[in-house]
Amino acid sequence: MAGINRELLLDCAICPNMCRCECPVDREFGREAVSPSGKARLAHLLLEGHLDWDGDLLEAISSCLGCRGCRLLCPFPELDLCEELLLARTEARPAGMILPAAVPYLNNLKKFGSPYGARPAALASPGSQNPEVLYFINCTSQANHPRSQQIILELLEAAGVSYRVLDQYCCGYPAQIWGDMELARQLAAENSARAAQSGAQLLLTDCPECWHTFTARYPEWGSELSLPVVDTATFFLGLVRQGRLEPGPLGEIGTVAYHDPCIWARVAEICAAPRELMQSIPGLELREAQPAGRETRCCGGGAMFQLTFPEQSAGIARRRLEEMPPAAALVTSCPFCRENLQAGGGKVLDLAELLGLAVLR
Amino acid sequence: MLEHLGRTIQEERLPAPDYGALAEKFRSIVGSEGVSAGGADRLATCRDYWPMGTLWFLEGKAPALPDLVVWPRSSSEVAAVLKLAAENNIPVTPYGEGSGALGGAVPLQGGIALDMKRMNRVLKLDRDNLMVTVEPGLNGSRYEEYLNRHGYTGGHFPQSLRCSTVGGWVACRAAGTFSTRYGKIEDMVVSLEAVLPDGKVIRGRKLPRTSTGPRVDHLFIGSEGTLGVITAITLRIWPYPEKRIYCSYTFETIERALEAIRRLVQAGARPAVVRLYDPAETAHHFPDCEAAAGRVILVLLFEGDAGIIAAEEQLAAKLAREEGGLAAGPEPVEHWLETRFNVGLASKLFRQGAVVDTIEVSTNWTNAAPLYHAMQKAILAVEGTALASGHYSHVYPEGAALYLTLVGFPAGDKREYYRRLWGAAMESCLSLGGAISHHHGVGLHRGLWMAQEHGKALEALRMIKEALDPQGIMNPGKLGLGEVKKWPE
Repeated sequence: MAGINRELLLDCAICPNMCRCECPVDREFGREAVSPSGKARLAHLLLEGHLDWDGDLLEAISSCLGCRGCRLLCPFPELDLCEELLLARTEARPAGMILPAAVPYLNNLKKFGSPYGARPAALASPGSQNPEVLYFINCTSQANHPRSQQIILELLEAAGVSYRVLDQYCCGYPAQIWGDMELARQLAAENSARAAQSGAQLLLTDCPECWHTFTARYPEWGSELSLPVVDTATFFLGLVRQGRLEPGPLGEIGTVAYHDPCIWARVAEICAAPRELMQSIPGLELREAQPAGRETRCCGGGAMFQLTFPEQSAGIARRRLEEMPPAAALVTSCPFCRENLQAGGGKVLDLAELLGLAVLR
Repeated sequence: MLEHLGRTIQEERLPAPDYGALAEKFRSIVGSEGVSAGGADRLATCRDYWPMGTLWFLEGKAPALPDLVVWPRSSSEVAAVLKLAAENNIPVTPYGEGSGALGGAVPLQGGIALDMKRMNRVLKLDRDNLMVTVEPGLNGSRYEEYLNRHGYTGGHFPQSLRCSTVGGWVACRAAGTFSTRYGKIEDMVVSLEAVLPDGKVIRGRKLPRTSTGPRVDHLFIGSEGTLGVITAITLRIWPYPEKRIYCSYTFETIERALEAIRRLVQAGARPAVVRLYDPAETAHHFPDCEAAAGRVILVLLFEGDAGIIAAEEQLAAKLAREEGGLAAGPEPVEHWLETRFNVGLASKLFRQGAVVDTIEVSTNWTNAAPLYHAMQKAILAVEGTALASGHYSHVYPEGAALYLTLVGFPAGDKREYYRRLWGAAMESCLSLGGAISHHHGVGLHRGLWMAQEHGKALEALRMIKEALDPQGIMNPGKLGLGEVKKWPE
């Protein structure tokens, strides 16, 4: 692991918070302590030993969605404050100090391999040898929207793609954000080993946090995946371009508004693929949020906020919904966004579900 | 947790109140989520962007801490909080987004940091009368974004736009970079709602002008939290500009460039942006502009009705030519627009041991160039100073604002160096008849020179303060209105 960059963190701590207008946490909480530079200041004082760790400070510097909204306006191009804060609270805090709200979910993760508790029975998976695709099911949609995973498998079958479903554990990201690095590494090692055994050509994921964990964190944790990781928007767009999937017109849904998940838009820089995929559906009108694309704003679901800061998470979702244009359905491509925006009201579809409606008629 | 970081300066208000018991009473007003005695919140509201506060932070010190942080959500909650504070003789320091540069938000005697950020709603957009009413805790960038979405602009773009609140702009009598066209905050404010220290709520009328005695609500513009708490603001707004024109000119000397600007603005032109950089800042900010090499650059941005701004641009070109100016094209303006919010260098310099600050003053045209030369000379004479560069912005028919950027690498005590630096700058400014601040306000630090600035008028201001706030609970020690018996160290 690269480790905390204390100089960049200090640059941020001295800055007058030039990015705060793009921080959803800052806006929702209205607390100076959880403004971007406010968190950097506390982290600096903790790291330099001017303060002793306690629950109050841990909660403050944990109040980060990891959305990288701050990066849009940051005067320090090399700084990723979300990452520095994550490192500060995983590397530097005393062992065993856990955000109280995270305790039950962390216990679930240790016991069941999912923060949501006992995992449902694995989806039926063909026993393909050396399949084209290894599908990684994320815990959040598994717990809340199991139908969306089934649709993904049906789309794969419709396109004639050979696949297997990985009998997996959580990717490990929740363990990391809640400070249990040992557990995060264990989960990563287990998933990586199982993925290698599959003989698949690529790993398919519909969760940006899982994608980010696989691509950026697994190599740092010594569990680099032996196969490339591809998001569902890019993968299904390829199948549409190849003519292996043929979307038809949607009945009731004539207009959709798309919410760009932060990690897809700002970290993976996947903004064009979901749009092109939606525009491949005949007659469907795509309406843009304000702001959209790379400048999207978090739905409040980043960093498992629904679980640890539920009230504020819902408030952030409500604000984001105010930025969406009127449309028959709101579409997104992240299980956290889908869950959080849906809780805020309105019809929300995962991108694969929308495609499923257009293809699996 | 905080004991070894610092302490609250309570000596002036002994005996210290029982904040534990008081917290419960405040919770009964603003709810349990509206009060914090937690270390994270108290530390976060113990300072603003005053460089002295940055030096404390770098030393791991917090010499003035609030005892409680309170978040009201309405003017009635503010009124109840102030009433309770007055009953218990507790100081109250309003807090916005902490971008103030003079220590105005430092809770000098502890007490309550009244964080206004949860009062952040747009209350009414009045399209017919081109006004908007907002709560004070609304972030500046979000304010402008809201107006743009509805086809308007607020015309107020301070460098702190993204990290300051509308209430903060009013409280410190701010100015934005587009001010030559749109005016300063006092030109934009139509009316205010404010809560007095005894809990009374006053509301100005939302009318273009009145001739019914002094506007009491306007007294709160520039009051920096010393008279009460601003709880709603009605501002003028403008239709989003139809067109923009960018142009720039380089000149051999500051004097010739200032003459071109003076003639332009006195002829009635109102460019939104007027910025004239001295040689050091021209070289620093526009290194790729060949036409500016060895010269000074003037950046102009016109916006509004296409016909009007075309005429203004023509006049600017003519006057610039007559003063020896050479056209340098739109690129320097585009560059300025792209980089205007970048304050990253200050952090880097502080981290490397420098002391960095900015000082903005105002002067009449007759003294515009001499004041720059005199203040630069005085500041550079302070041992340890490495840079004193400047630019003019915010121009008027009567004069202009001068904005100096200072960087020092003092060998000894940085805080002592900082005091000497400011002493030299302020004395120099006053000796040439300049105003000691154009738009950053007074806060804690500039209070030292307020008597010289105002003369007997400061006594009148103190009498007003004492009449409204007889216990002196509102932001004590600020604006030069009260003696600071003990400076935070």
